[in-house]
Amino acid sequence: MSSVTLQAVRKTWGAFEALKSLDLHIPDGEFLVLLGPSGCGKSTTMRIVAGLEEVSSGTLLFDREDVTRVHPRRRNVAMVFQNYALYPHMTVAENIGYPLKVTGVDKAKAREKMLDAARKVDLTDYLSRLPRDLSGGQRQRVALARALVRDPRVFLLDEPLSNLDAKLRVAMRAEIKHLQRSIGVTMIYVTHDQIEAMTLADRIVLMNKGQIQQIGTPDEIYDDPANLFVAGFIGSPPMNVVTGEVADGVFRAPGVTVPGAPGRGPVTLGFRAEDVTLSPTGAFQGTVFEVEPTGESTFLVVEVGGGRAMLRADKKHRPALGSPVAFDVPASQCLFFNPGDGLRLRRTVPHLQQVTA
Amino acid sequence: MTRPGVKWTTFALWVLFSLLTLLPIWWMFLVSVKSRTDLFGRPSFLLDISRITWDNYATVIANPAFQRYMLNSLIVSTANAALVCALGLLAAYAMSRYRMRGKDNIFFWVLTNRMAPPAAFLLPLYLLYTGVFQVGDWSLFDTRIGLILLYCVLNLPFAFWLLQGIIDGIPAELDEAAYVDGASTWQVLRTIIVPLAGPGIAVTGILTWVFAWNEYLFASTLTSVNARTITTGLAEFVTVTGTNWGQMAAVAMLTLLPAALVLAVVQKHIVAGLTFGAVKG
Repeated sequence: MSSVTLQAVRKTWGAFEALKSLDLHIPDGEFLVLLGPSGCGKSTTMRIVAGLEEVSSGTLLFDREDVTRVHPRRRNVAMVFQNYALYPHMTVAENIGYPLKVTGVDKAKAREKMLDAARKVDLTDYLSRLPRDLSGGQRQRVALARALVRDPRVFLLDEPLSNLDAKLRVAMRAEIKHLQRSIGVTMIYVTHDQIEAMTLADRIVLMNKGQIQQIGTPDEIYDDPANLFVAGFIGSPPMNVVTGEVADGVFRAPGVTVPGAPGRGPVTLGFRAEDVTLSPTGAFQGTVFEVEPTGESTFLVVEVGGGRAMLRADKKHRPALGSPVAFDVPASQCLFFNPGDGLRLRRTVPHLQQVTA
Repeated sequence: MTRPGVKWTTFALWVLFSLLTLLPIWWMFLVSVKSRTDLFGRPSFLLDISRITWDNYATVIANPAFQRYMLNSLIVSTANAALVCALGLLAAYAMSRYRMRGKDNIFFWVLTNRMAPPAAFLLPLYLLYTGVFQVGDWSLFDTRIGLILLYCVLNLPFAFWLLQGIIDGIPAELDEAAYVDGASTWQVLRTIIVPLAGPGIAVTGILTWVFAWNEYLFASTLTSVNARTITTGLAEFVTVTGTNWGQMAAVAMLTLLPAALVLAVVQKHIVAGLTFGAVKG
């Protein structure tokens, strides 16, 4: 097992810049999730770590060893591909044992290790089957076993759950997390699913357009987003945003007045649906646009401050469409952003008291 | 739903086409099993199988020249097929997997090599084989290796084109997975690409084998005695004193046999191999 360090790593294809000078350190044994929308550079980052893409410039270190120009076969990384990339002409046993076969491990020892890996993912009954005779979940486990069969320095998983149905995905998620904890390997996991990222990661790296937007624990990323992109990407529903003006420390938008705001001029206010408290005298005044019951709660789509916001309310709450609604958000949960560059505007003194009208 | 009338018409048409195709072969077979007297004395022989003789076959099989021609053809065709498959696979793999400048142009250029009429190369090749490619007394003219190399030149563009389509159909992710698993490029080729492209390689091998087996023009020009192949041997039955039709037909049947057998056995795989790239595995 190794730590992984990317220093000023850039990747370009012609004029297109897929990665713009990436700096990242992943300590030994960490479960790191690379999260972001399609084309954000997360898969490219992982492929660079695997050696499947060459960097345009920059350095990649495993521990202190420079592996930037090392061929993938000599990096000793294990990778699980999105489509599993199982060898269709080989049985489950041959698939799992392939890394040992090509690296010339003694046959008896290889068989023992293969059986051990198959046991870990509960595949011992399927060893003589071909991949096409397996279900999606079983194929996924074969791919995991093939990665587990040796002792890789880094474990890479490229959207490994995206081809599974929702129920299986949840089950496999727990298995992967448990596996990582039990063997304590450095794991880099690529996904565009924020729930997967939140549930699995020790740390999340949120990327967009080839740049890191924020690095932090799931809680940090959720509660303390660095910019509007992070705020909008993480959370379901995403963070509500209202754009208004700040003058003399007071944020104002149609129907909204929030004191204790940083900055001046145009500012974007963000708050999460679950931080809202309905109150007839609330600082936010709007009208109900739509009601969305989900079973465990009811989401109200509200027209407020010149835009729309989602509020989470009690499951029995069913206001009439078009009726006025007022709510409060704790001051600590009101986040402010610069609408120009999307960056967070922080208060100099934390305001923890309730916002009042 | 198909109406019975349409079904029967289709059936009849297929029977007609099959008969048209098979008739010359049947005729040749009859000629090969008739004595010279019967051939010319009883001209109406299309359905006459009353006086069959295998003498023509016995004579040609016992003929040392025929044996040598057959052996030459077998060696040349098989070596050609093996060489073309090996080189074609390597070229196609490189073309399919590596990013390189002007890839499409190279591919097209290789294909255009196949478009020129072979007869245009006849004289230059003859001069090269007799005068240029020589070491001391030895030259490529009238050697099996000479034919093998020439057939490679003629067959490689086709093999390259066919195999590239097949390798393109194998997801590159499998190569990447194998590299990450610790395999070398050679191991990837041997353990991943060759087994998965197996049907395609077999088709390429068979089609190039049949091409070399059937080739006449170059074989007749670039060989004289030692490296003569069976197709050129056929022409030797036409002499200034007359044509030995019976023996010639017997040799023709024997020439036809291996190719027909190979194609009959593997025809299903040929269709599967040619459509390999169309279906994702």
